Amino acid sequence: MAGLVVLASAVVLTALWAMVVGTSDIGLPDVYRALFEFDGSRDHIVVTTVRLPRILAAILAGASLAVAGALMQAVTNNPLASPGLLGVNAGAAFAVVLALVFLDDLPARGYVWVAFAGAGVAGGLVYAIGSIGFGGATPLKLALAGAVFSAFVSAMTTSILIFDATTIDSIRLWSVGSLANRPMSNVLGVLPYIVTGLAAALLFSRQITTMSLGADVARTVGQNLALWRIVSGAIVALLAGSAVAMAGPIGFVGLVIPHMARMLAGSDYRRVIPVSALGGALLVLLGDNLLRAVFPERTIPVGITMAVLGAPFFVYLARNRLRGNN
Amino acid sequence: MIRTVTIFATAIAVLSLTGLMLGDQQIAVPQIAAAVFKPDESDAVTLMIVREFRLPRIVLAAIVGAALAVAGSVSQTVMRNPLAEPGLLGINSGAALAALLVIVFFERSDPALVSFSAFAGALGMAALIYVLSWRSGASSIRIILIGIGLSSMAGAASSFISLFGDLTTVQSAQTWLAGSVWNANWDKVHVLAVWLLPAFIMVLLAHRELDLMSFDDMSASGLGMRVQAARAAMVLLCSLISAAAVAAAGLIGFVGLIAPHIARRLTGHRHCRVLPAAALVGASLLLGADLVGRTVIAPAQLPAGLMIVLIGAPFFAFLLWKRRNARI
Repeated sequence: MAGLVVLASAVVLTALWAMVVGTSDIGLPDVYRALFEFDGSRDHIVVTTVRLPRILAAILAGASLAVAGALMQAVTNNPLASPGLLGVNAGAAFAVVLALVFLDDLPARGYVWVAFAGAGVAGGLVYAIGSIGFGGATPLKLALAGAVFSAFVSAMTTSILIFDATTIDSIRLWSVGSLANRPMSNVLGVLPYIVTGLAAALLFSRQITTMSLGADVARTVGQNLALWRIVSGAIVALLAGSAVAMAGPIGFVGLVIPHMARMLAGSDYRRVIPVSALGGALLVLLGDNLLRAVFPERTIPVGITMAVLGAPFFVYLARNRLRGNN
Repeated sequence: MIRTVTIFATAIAVLSLTGLMLGDQQIAVPQIAAAVFKPDESDAVTLMIVREFRLPRIVLAAIVGAALAVAGSVSQTVMRNPLAEPGLLGINSGAALAALLVIVFFERSDPALVSFSAFAGALGMAALIYVLSWRSGASSIRIILIGIGLSSMAGAASSFISLFGDLTTVQSAQTWLAGSVWNANWDKVHVLAVWLLPAFIMVLLAHRELDLMSFDDMSASGLGMRVQAARAAMVLLCSLISAAAVAAAGLIGFVGLIAPHIARRLTGHRHCRVLPAAALVGASLLLGADLVGRTVIAPAQLPAGLMIVLIGAPFFAFLLWKRRNARI
């Protein structure tokens, strides 16, 4: 519990700091007034329409991707499972691009559903391809299948976009994972889905813990494995799909944070899931704003920052944490 | 073997000829023959199209395809994993990262310099993958996983660098990175040939060592091979070949995955046969991909790299399915 409080206060403090970082010089008192006594001045508009949505988006994307990763690692029993590596993010992004290009009259809310569908199909497909053959879904085969699927989907995306130059321009930043310029409506649009997903993950954390012990143990204690795998898959698609629809495919949060959470909180998912949610929010928020503070004149998509931070961790996992393969 | 060589050599000839004929300006066979063999007798426009645009592009595509296929055969043998190829292992993205650094920060793009930096990048990446996966010997599973991790890191670093470059430089660099042979010229072909010829010869000379390595480490060292040294040397050669291909044509994946498989299906497992066959298959694959990519939606062009991925990724799934009863 103490750990949760520390993490939550770290998220709040970082969010407050993120409110004052930026090209216009706005102090905390001004931020307070902008939020509670809005008077329409330029600074207040910057706070409410630029910084607040960006911070909320970072928190939501981080929390949902980290929890999605934790669930995937529990269900597949595989330390390398995460929405980025297994192509779930890429699938959701591809579905959104398809919808942008081919479904002109889709209402803004529809894209979230398209992203859910893309995430679900991609996750299922990669898992199915990766579990073909001897030994089922080994980390190696899953990682290879995910890498190949992502390459395939991004090639498809590029081929489609060659025909549609206007769409290219509007999604270039989004397609590498970016939190910049999200309108508030966009963030609030995915909020209910993310909250539902997080709540469901917390609610079912007992069953998820059982699954994380492995298929044999889960069957022995009488768990309906097929049912709970489908439930967790749906939660993952909901969380990852919403995050991608809002902020584009941000990788590695879903890989790194669950491992850290298990190091901090043990292997009981009733604690791992809340710690992952807060940790993911903190990581994305920090990653996004550190770069904003260091290079104020550049827009560096947070997806790139996460890959630079997360890939060394992946290498560490592959080197040290894969039992049975070393 | 002879049948395989005949089939693929014919395929290369037909694809090259079609490539010379088709395009915005259709050119008939007699005119092509005239432009190639009797340059004095044909008109200037045809001469330029054939000799300065289409011919170098075709030659470049063939050489790059062959190089990627040979690099793929070597890495599949060395990693003893039929799914390993330089593109998946991150060697190509290391090469691309280094080349991008030179292009963006020094604003130089002459083929020789880019080749050198790409080679440095590929070698650095290969060394890094090897060092990081070394725990009393380098297991091929660790090499592949660490390669995937480092590859996404290098990809992110490339995007990061391109944020700092001048917009036009970055745009041209990204077209190149997407994997395409559209801006081929004879300079590139020369540099590529000079790089690749010694490397090809060395790989061919090492065909017996490669045969040995495709068994397990125990058998190979039991037969008197210094396995770790030989593996390191092969990784070096493989990086050299990949780097040259990346410097010339950007990131083209999956040729190194597909071509060696087709070659092995047709000629068996001995490397003195697999390597030349894979080179021919790779050359015809990339020639075909480039031809389709630039004619099917003309005047727009799909980069050859994209076409190959669209064929290659399903092929990968098929391979996994075929090998479902084998241990990976």
